[in-house]
Amino acid sequence: MPGNIIEVSHYTQKYGDFKAVDDISFNVEEGSIFAFLGPNGAGKSTTINTLCTILSKTDGMLKINGNDVAGHKDRVRADIGIVFQESTLDNNLTVFDNLKLHCDFYNVPYEEVKKRIDFALSLVDMLDWKKSVVKGLSGGMKRRVEIARGLVHFPRVLFLDEPTAGLDAQTRANIWEYIRKLQKQKNITIFMTTHYMEEAEICDHLAIIDHGKIAANGTLYDLKRKYSSSVTRIMTGDTAALRGYLDARSVDFKEDGGLITFHSNNTELVLDIASRFKSSITDLEINKGTLNDVYLSITGKEVRS
Amino acid sequence: MRAIKSVLLRSLASFTGDKIRLVFTFITPFFFMFIFSFTMKSAPAGLMQPMNYLLSGIIIMTVFQTALNNSMGIIDDIASGFMKEIIVAPVPRWQISIGQVLASMIIAVIQGLMLLIIGFFIGFRLDPPHVAGLVGVMVLVGFTFSSIGLFLASLTKSSSAFQVMVSVIVLPLTLVSGALIPVTALPSFLKPLFFFNPLSYTASIFRFISLKMENLPVDELIKQGVAFQLGSFIITPQAALLIIVLMSALFFGLCVHRFNEADFSSVKTFKHHH
Repeated sequence: MPGNIIEVSHYTQKYGDFKAVDDISFNVEEGSIFAFLGPNGAGKSTTINTLCTILSKTDGMLKINGNDVAGHKDRVRADIGIVFQESTLDNNLTVFDNLKLHCDFYNVPYEEVKKRIDFALSLVDMLDWKKSVVKGLSGGMKRRVEIARGLVHFPRVLFLDEPTAGLDAQTRANIWEYIRKLQKQKNITIFMTTHYMEEAEICDHLAIIDHGKIAANGTLYDLKRKYSSSVTRIMTGDTAALRGYLDARSVDFKEDGGLITFHSNNTELVLDIASRFKSSITDLEINKGTLNDVYLSITGKEVRS
Repeated sequence: MRAIKSVLLRSLASFTGDKIRLVFTFITPFFFMFIFSFTMKSAPAGLMQPMNYLLSGIIIMTVFQTALNNSMGIIDDIASGFMKEIIVAPVPRWQISIGQVLASMIIAVIQGLMLLIIGFFIGFRLDPPHVAGLVGVMVLVGFTFSSIGLFLASLTKSSSAFQVMVSVIVLPLTLVSGALIPVTALPSFLKPLFFFNPLSYTASIFRFISLKMENLPVDELIKQGVAFQLGSFIITPQAALLIIVLMSALFFGLCVHRFNEADFSSVKTFKHHH
């Protein structure tokens, strides 16, 4: 059973009288992908900045790998890698020099520097651009270089603040691919913030944050189970029989020709229908609830951005 | 050490990378030297060694201005976002500060040395121990004003604001420091300003060495404008040196403090298209 690499309890952040983050608590299990999902201004980046030691908390306790982020800044800094929302590369240096500088800051053993840079760049398919000056790269490429740089010192936790904001669909899909690959290959813990539903879908564990408070927190699977319902669609030759069955169990359904659609998380019900009406069913489909449903049912609104 | 070295080398590289700025940094003082060497042909009365007086003034002014200006590089780093990469790194804050300060000091001292060499061709007369002394003071002045510059830069919100601040500070400081205009020629209402001016002490020790005044009695030093009487208290060039050392320690400490406290997130950044 892996332990918690990030522990946050009763964390509050105020800017003047405004509470950007209001008494939140959560843990992140080592080796998992954890996502903070919420609209812009919900307090996601504030939390990341405090975890990354560049913002001082107003109240609460935040620990990474057992070290208090306020008390042991240098130990915490050595354990983490960060990809900020906006670019933090030196635009006048080459890709290699940016990563080399990072290795110097994080005291990566000299003899390993080249090997690690090659490894990190190949993970995000940027090895061919090693000698290019950053200034000339596209936004997507820069983001990939930043991800490579964030992990070249082999951090325990990699923070990704809105890793694909502003990127095109193809690049976003690639970056999610890299993130998954990274977690599998290095068993690295990934903490990311996002306001995209599709992006949050790649995580194991999710916290929905809005107005500085955590509205829900759990595994992706549990949240979907709890806050959304699966949609079952059945094509049948004998709609009357199925209608009678569903009415008897007071399940709401919609009928359109031979197609009956209903919401339910009750797997047994669907299995029972399948076995009872085996002969008349021509098609059966179950779709798990989406994160969007979860988000809607928790916050009562679409994600604002 | 590794972090200091990499911060230092990167700052030097970004300075030499900016070719236009590089050219102007090195050309400007030559104009000064050229113009003033003509004016000084008719030396003001009461000044001994007018050429040494003038050249030492120009050199120290150049070193101080360059050091102050070079620190502006960090504003660009803050605006481009790169500063965040530095401040989240597990590097002690004093090492970040010292890397930055040394880089800007090195450029300033190189510039001072170039002027010193040119000076020898147009009439600067010094022996090796005095030259060594001058280089030592240039290093100290470079360090002090790079720290002051870095501290000011860390407080400003944009490079244009910093530039305005520097030009508002630089001209008056230079004029009332005795670097170009002898302090004895200053009107008395400007005297208080003179004593609060870090550059005054810098000019004093620099001039003391370049005019080879170590054998002069104190009252003669006061007459020459390198020692100052403040009531019954006399600030000798040696005391001036101590004042500069204390000042550099103070401002360096303030820089480290800024790097510790600031998250630099309030600085205006240009939105990049991702």
